[in-house]
Amino acid sequence: MKTLTYTSLLGIFCMLAEILNLRKFIIPIALVALCVIGGLTYCDLNVHFEPFFSDMLRVDNFSTSFSLLLIVIAILLIALSYDFYTAQKDKISDYISIIIFTLCGALALVSFSNMTMFFIGLEVMSISFYILAGTNKREVRSNEAAMKYFLMGSFASGILLMGITLIYGASGSFNLATIAVYASGQNPDITFYIGIILVLVALLFKVSAVPFHFWAPDVYEGSPMLITALMATLGKVASFAAFYKLFAVCFVDAGSHFKLVIAIVVALTILVGNLSAIRQDSFKRMLAFSGVTNAGFMLFAILLPNENGGSALFFYAVAYALSSIAAFAIAIAVSKFSGSEKFDAFKGLAHKHPFSAILLTFAMISIAGIPPFAGFFAKYFILSSAIKGGYFWLAVFAIINSVVAFYYYFKVIIMMFSKPENEDSFSPNFVYITVASIAVLITIIAGFAPGVFFIH
Amino acid sequence: MVNLYVLILAPLVGFLINGLMGKSLPKSVSGIISSFAVFVSFVISSIYFFGFVGGTQAPIDANVFDWITAGETKISFGLLLDQLSGLWLMIITGIGFLIHVYSIGYMHDDENFSRFFAYLNLFIFFMLLLVLGNNFLVMFIGWEGVGLCSYLLIGFWFKNQPYNDAAKKAFIMNRIGDLGFLIGMFLILFYFKTLNYGQLKEALASTQTSHGLLIAITMCLFVGAMGKSAQLPLYTWLPDAMAGPTPVSALIHAATMVTAGIFLIARANFLFSMAPETLSFIAGVGAVTALFAATIGVLQNDIKKVLAYSTVSQLGLMFLAMGVGAYTSGVFHVTTHAFFKACLFLGSGSVIHAMGGEQDIRNMGGLKKWMSITFITFLLSSIAIAGVPPFSGFFSKDEILAHVFEANKVLWVIGSLASFLTAFYMFRLVILTFFGSFRGTHEQEHHLHESPATITIPLVILAVLAVLGGLMGLPEFISHTHWLNSFLAPIFPHAEGHEHMAISTEFALMGLATALAVIGIGIAYSLYVSKQQLPAKEGELKGFAALVYDKYRVDELYNAVFVKPISALSSTLYTIVDKALIDGQLVEGTAGLSMQLGKRIRSLQSGNIGFYLLVMVVAISLILTYVFI
Repeated sequence: MKTLTYTSLLGIFCMLAEILNLRKFIIPIALVALCVIGGLTYCDLNVHFEPFFSDMLRVDNFSTSFSLLLIVIAILLIALSYDFYTAQKDKISDYISIIIFTLCGALALVSFSNMTMFFIGLEVMSISFYILAGTNKREVRSNEAAMKYFLMGSFASGILLMGITLIYGASGSFNLATIAVYASGQNPDITFYIGIILVLVALLFKVSAVPFHFWAPDVYEGSPMLITALMATLGKVASFAAFYKLFAVCFVDAGSHFKLVIAIVVALTILVGNLSAIRQDSFKRMLAFSGVTNAGFMLFAILLPNENGGSALFFYAVAYALSSIAAFAIAIAVSKFSGSEKFDAFKGLAHKHPFSAILLTFAMISIAGIPPFAGFFAKYFILSSAIKGGYFWLAVFAIINSVVAFYYYFKVIIMMFSKPENEDSFSPNFVYITVASIAVLITIIAGFAPGVFFIH
Repeated sequence: MVNLYVLILAPLVGFLINGLMGKSLPKSVSGIISSFAVFVSFVISSIYFFGFVGGTQAPIDANVFDWITAGETKISFGLLLDQLSGLWLMIITGIGFLIHVYSIGYMHDDENFSRFFAYLNLFIFFMLLLVLGNNFLVMFIGWEGVGLCSYLLIGFWFKNQPYNDAAKKAFIMNRIGDLGFLIGMFLILFYFKTLNYGQLKEALASTQTSHGLLIAITMCLFVGAMGKSAQLPLYTWLPDAMAGPTPVSALIHAATMVTAGIFLIARANFLFSMAPETLSFIAGVGAVTALFAATIGVLQNDIKKVLAYSTVSQLGLMFLAMGVGAYTSGVFHVTTHAFFKACLFLGSGSVIHAMGGEQDIRNMGGLKKWMSITFITFLLSSIAIAGVPPFSGFFSKDEILAHVFEANKVLWVIGSLASFLTAFYMFRLVILTFFGSFRGTHEQEHHLHESPATITIPLVILAVLAVLGGLMGLPEFISHTHWLNSFLAPIFPHAEGHEHMAISTEFALMGLATALAVIGIGIAYSLYVSKQQLPAKEGELKGFAALVYDKYRVDELYNAVFVKPISALSSTLYTIVDKALIDGQLVEGTAGLSMQLGKRIRSLQSGNIGFYLLVMVVAISLILTYVFI
């Protein structure tokens, strides 16, 4: 609870900082504050299990673990914005505060215990994203991305509200515990099931699962790369946590109505994400589609509402988010230097700046799922529990697809280790290297000691 | 314990220094570092060893760290230093040190000097691991490690393709044996839940184990020993391994690595003793190998090949000893053999060095005039291996044959025959090399010289050991006790002395053995000195002799039976299954299909919001339809 409160206060402070003329210090202050909030959150682990605000929020180990991950993601990305927004110094307090509000929405999404709070969290996060997508005001594609995201997001929000309304109509409550009781009771009303399906569709939209994923590549491509990273990591992780809370915990007794739908969506998402990524020549767009594929893998966890599902999802989220951040950090540095987001921009990076090439290689290897990095164990935990849960063929299908994925993950590695075309020297700002190193380090630690990242 | 760590790690440090920055070190420094590393190990080994001799040192059995934990099975990385490993440590580090010093002289012109010493150090490290492990897995690590070093050193002059082939052959042959070792190890782990020697011993004592299982385990382990110690039918790699530099042949392929099989049986003697059938098999294989290799040795003309077959033959004799349960005698022969065979190999290296690389004894002769130290040491070692009293080989060999005589008369006849042949071909070698007149070119004659001190000093030390090494196992009727017997008593609890045998029989056997050795030497003398015969030129041999000269064409047999069918099969699989099916259809096909699909799906991503929303609505309708209708 205090996590959310303090983060909101931090967001408000960042807005006020503009007036107080603290623009220069805003990033260090935000980073320090977030570290403190992270520390406070960590103290909640295994301590508090209680409802807040008339049972609007509920803090447990699941929410605390995810909150910590979200805070780490926010810290790393805000650190990146130190160099990223050099051209737009006057807007920095707005950007940072909106990013922090995004975090607020995300935190609400991992700890809600009431449908109202769920909707508020999702909207706070989404609306912040709409704004952030358009922050590159002079770039047409950025404007287009914001507009597209807003239009389609509103559509999804409409569906979500409709679903929540139907669930309320059937069960008579917004409270998750009450709804869960209703779901497990005798003969729930058919409107309840329709409501669940509509909420499902809205969430599938938010996590960019096929066939509700069309917004993702366009929005990811058009947004400034830092915001793409924010959406692909923070947004996705929070949405999945909410997804898990609703479908693997709350509605789980509502029968198997949605299970097969999710299974089909998993297969489609993995396949379409993969096949689309193969043909991309833009690194950023490839990462966008890779995000779609990874969403497919994380959806497995929703299918498996056993005690391992939450841990598997969290571990996957850690591995995916941190590998992606490392990749984005290096990609931002490279694109800032060369002005291009295409694969060609990485040519010869290993000769020009070996360390960043190694970091990006590790990040790619981790996302591709090769030991000893976290990405391998993330896939392993998800797929092994999928096989235990009876989804053998789906797991086989996913494994085949992750082999195909090597093609596009390794494309950038090959580029980096081929001969450079020019002799330009490349020296990225230290924040990119630091952030990428931290992220890679965590994926390595998670690979060697996965137990640390389990939710108990 | 710290001493023990230093003992093991010193050669590893030497390896790292030479391996990582050897290129930038001067040759002398590189050689000295590496020799010093082994010397450190030797000093510590001596401290432990004499501690054991004096009775002040208790055996060390310690788990360094938990290595593998899986379910109930827990395997530690553990070390065991007792009398048996102590004795082996002395052989490895002592002879190893001498050979390092020798190599400084022998390899001084080689451009890859530091690489050579790096490998040698690495070999010593793995060999120490092999003998110091307290469970089969640690031994296996050492076992594989020495195999790797052997491979690297046989192919040390890798620009020469036949040498590379020899290295590969050694590696593959050893892999066949290793598979046996592995299976044996898995069986032990599966049925006894431990690989630790001590725990296995307890488990065997406390539980009833099926006899068939024991036979299976010991047979598998023996297959491993066969590969490493070059016994029939896995011996053909050892003669080819002579492609490596001569110090390597002396260290790895005579004194230490090839005796690993003996060590395995000695270490697991409690296990082997429970499977008498396996022991009989081992004795049979040992005896046949001893005779078989000795006959081949009689007709070889390459100085190192003769010694190689002699090694195979002597190893056969050791297995014969192990097979009749005379573990101490086997270990005794390992020790004396290490002395005289290392000396012989180093001596041959000295000869080859002087001859400018020539290895054919038909082109030598009369070398004693130029190389007196090499000659004397070589002669003393040859007398030792021939089994003439009171040289070391006599005592160890006689002890083995006495035990075999008790156990099985047929095997004794075979063993004695092999000893007789040994005496003959060794003196054929000595005479053709050092006596008579020089048969090489003038250029070679001009170049003949005694080797430098780094080469001759190790030769002298080893020759002294070869002469006196028998003292550690004097029969009980000469000295008060059989020293080695009582030293190894904690390891081989059932080691029997000669007490069952009448002294008269013992004397008779000794006399017979000596007589056979002397007759063998005499025949060699009469043929090559009195009659001044020379070995036949290529192609002059007929019939059985030609067959023996061609090493019974075993290589050709293996080639026809195993190698050719396998390569035919693999080239078929390559062209049909791999190239056409997997590469052509599956891989290329899948890649092409993915690319095509990717192209199609990508075109869906049009950027048109209307289309995106339409797809969403259609999807929602489909889902609702599916779920509710």
